[in-house]
Amino acid sequence: MNNFFLTKVVIVTLVLTPLFSGCLSEESSDNELVIVTYDVNALSDSMISQFENNTGIEIKMIKVDDAGSILSYLIQNEGTGTIDLAIGLDNTYLPTAIELDLLKEVNVNQTLLSRLNSSKMQPLKPYEGKLATPFDMGYICLNYDSSVVDGLNFTVPTGLWDLTEPEWKGKVAFPSPITSSPGRGFMLATLDYFSWQSNDEDFGNWWTAMKENDVIITSGWSEAYETHYTGGYGEYTEGYIGDAHITVSYCHSPGVESWYNGNWTKSASLDISKTAFFQVEYASAIKGGNSENAEKFIEYLISPNVNSQMPIENLMYSVLEGEDLPEENGYRFHSLIPSDPALISNHDIGRNMELWLEEWNLAMTKSE
Amino acid sequence: MNSLQKIFGAIAVVLYTIITIAPIVFALDRLILVSGFNPTFWVQSLDKNYVSQGTIGFTFIQSFFSTILTILIGFPIAWVLGRHSWPFKAFLRSILTLPFVIPAIIAAMGVLTITGPYGLDIRTEESTWWWTLILSHAWFNIALIIRFCEPVLSTLNPNLEEQLLLLPNGVTFYSRLKNLWIPVLAPAVAAASCMTFVFSFTSFALVKWITVRDKTLESTMAEVSSSSGIQGYMESSSDIVLGASLIQFLVLLISLWLMSVLQRKRQTKWQQASENLVQNKNTKGWLVLAPAIFFVQLPLLSVILGSLRVRDASADSTSFKWSTAGWSEALQGSYSFPPLSEALFNSMIYSFTTLIIALPLGYALASTIHILEEKNLHLSKILEIYTMLPFALSAAMIGLGVMLGIIKLNPSAAYDFWFLPVLAHVIITVPFVVRIILPALRSLDLNYEENAKVLGMSKLNRFLKIKLPLMKGSILVATVFTLAMSLGEFGASFIVARNSEWTTLPLLIDSLRGKPMKDPLTVPASNAVATVLMIITMILFLVVESFRNQKDRGMF
Repeated sequence: MNNFFLTKVVIVTLVLTPLFSGCLSEESSDNELVIVTYDVNALSDSMISQFENNTGIEIKMIKVDDAGSILSYLIQNEGTGTIDLAIGLDNTYLPTAIELDLLKEVNVNQTLLSRLNSSKMQPLKPYEGKLATPFDMGYICLNYDSSVVDGLNFTVPTGLWDLTEPEWKGKVAFPSPITSSPGRGFMLATLDYFSWQSNDEDFGNWWTAMKENDVIITSGWSEAYETHYTGGYGEYTEGYIGDAHITVSYCHSPGVESWYNGNWTKSASLDISKTAFFQVEYASAIKGGNSENAEKFIEYLISPNVNSQMPIENLMYSVLEGEDLPEENGYRFHSLIPSDPALISNHDIGRNMELWLEEWNLAMTKSE
Repeated sequence: MNSLQKIFGAIAVVLYTIITIAPIVFALDRLILVSGFNPTFWVQSLDKNYVSQGTIGFTFIQSFFSTILTILIGFPIAWVLGRHSWPFKAFLRSILTLPFVIPAIIAAMGVLTITGPYGLDIRTEESTWWWTLILSHAWFNIALIIRFCEPVLSTLNPNLEEQLLLLPNGVTFYSRLKNLWIPVLAPAVAAASCMTFVFSFTSFALVKWITVRDKTLESTMAEVSSSSGIQGYMESSSDIVLGASLIQFLVLLISLWLMSVLQRKRQTKWQQASENLVQNKNTKGWLVLAPAIFFVQLPLLSVILGSLRVRDASADSTSFKWSTAGWSEALQGSYSFPPLSEALFNSMIYSFTTLIIALPLGYALASTIHILEEKNLHLSKILEIYTMLPFALSAAMIGLGVMLGIIKLNPSAAYDFWFLPVLAHVIITVPFVVRIILPALRSLDLNYEENAKVLGMSKLNRFLKIKLPLMKGSILVATVFTLAMSLGEFGASFIVARNSEWTTLPLLIDSLRGKPMKDPLTVPASNAVATVLMIITMILFLVVESFRNQKDRGMF
């Protein structure tokens, strides 16, 4: 290797760099809407192309793993001005996005906003500012297999400490709050549950006790529900193990089961005080992006034609006033509305999430 | 090394550095910014975080056992295939080595179908997961043992054994083993073991789907990668990625170094003979081959069957019917999934573009290493290890690096730069091209080149008329390998945030599997897409076997 060689290396690099940047220098146009989202089923091809035909706006969609990945992607791309809209941040992630000043206010058509359901969103009020618009919602809660947890083979739990009893050893599957938003929602609910109980330390103690009782922690919701849970459709899937009779899912998951099974399900939701977490998913315009186009899409997303289809297309509640789950095949009948859900403010979530996750980690790594 | 060679070599090294190494530098720079430079802390963080606790031990132990089982299963197959003559041998060889190029996600689907509730129904027992994983790794990697050992076995001059029989040191079976077979085969077996260890160590999809509760360093990194590299937000993810990468990198560096030493040893010329002379008929060999074919094909067959088996949602919940409805769903596309044809088209375009870049680049790198071996052995070794780096890097690291690189260059490239997935594919395939071309270059008979030189042939002519025809077989193998790896590539292209219009076949399979499987057509549709991918891979493999040159059959 001599100087001649190095000179050539430099020349080649100089020649290649413009070549590459030439490929990259395509400017985004006003007729474009760049959306970052995860696999939200509601964003179907037909729904997207209808929007494109109506407005002439071309949609570019960046798909990432989950709600947490949306937030990470927004943080990594902060200040680049390339993303216009994020769809799928839920209320466990939204406060962090607001805290980090990633979102931009939009003026969504008031007549549409006024139709947003407010009664069902109690007691946890969703974010009501202009930085985010809800597009679907649902309660996260404990689901159990009623064919096994029937009061004979297993006692139906009435409190969270029941799950630390020997009969539940290795029979409970939770998605991890580190990597899953339902998991995060449930962890927040347990935080609230124990703050209402004797002392705050119980939060960590309970999770440690659960770990000692061989709780199954999965990376995502689908692994807990499809692979481990005996009460759901997981038993039809190939990876099925079926070692857990209780898991975390939506309170309306038994309704979805019933809707798919022709009005039959063995799964049920547990109505234990302060253990259900109200989850709302949002669409938000992103700072530096094209908020006009983002606004148009948000209006489209909460328009009656599109949003009323949420229970079927996205298996979540619609956020529109007067809309509910369909009665057909027991969807509505098997969907529990918890009587006393957990109460944690968006403000607290935004400020303390990191700390709570650390506490959870500490509880789960603590040795006896 | 003349100036033209130097230019080509330099271009190859620079291009490779830009495509492969630059993203890693970006990723490392950002991760270290978040976590600080404290390698001991990175490694310790693995045990401090629940998400990564116990992964180091599991990764090592499962890789060790996977390697042992792979040798135990693969070696008898390689022996029987190498020492005896078989009808349709090229076909048999392709069938037996096919798993290596089958995307891990398809393999996982096949394994789950076999062990799941409608197969052997052994998944409910946690103790079976471990052996299912080890066996799956063996299934995946026996190709390595066959590819490394079979050429040695099939061309070793039988006279050697006959001569040894007459000597006092070769009277007993054990003495022949000690004096002939172990010295002959040990480098090949050891090199194959190193590679098997590497691939088991970095295993992701099979671990994710099969063992469920236990994780490898790679699958842990995949889990936390999306939140890594961000200051003030879930910083423990960055510690985990750095700790896991460091261990993975060190282990793989040692393996690759060992491999490189062993491969050079493998070039030592043993007395060779034509296959026809070495191989004899042996019908008893079917006792090994028949079960081997069954073992290899079973997961693949179960994927095909799975595409036609549809759960009857209206009737009794456990009943199934045979139907092509899953195929219709895959062909037409539904909800947010593009039709199979679109994904197939994307996959084809991406794999050919990958080939156009990866093959010349890999060839140029291999050629530079080969030329440097004579001039500067030390530098050639460094370059050889350098080209194998992607083997040692996790998809999480590459994904993060590519994203950071894009943000620096032009952030809109994440959705506008159609070429982006090709970059990921090139990173993955170039090391394979180098590994295939390099041994072939080393075993080229230099006499032809020398004679042509004496006869006054120009350099270009010598390359086109002598070297290229002699290398034809290896280039073809590399071509097919690149196409197959690119078609099946999943990890890196998945992690690079992607435009939903760039869906390839493996991404479509994953999207379909990711959809809640309440819909009875989800599983058959994903199996249908997997079947198409598998059949294309199989055809490519069969084609290449018929062109494969006896001489350059090493490695893959």
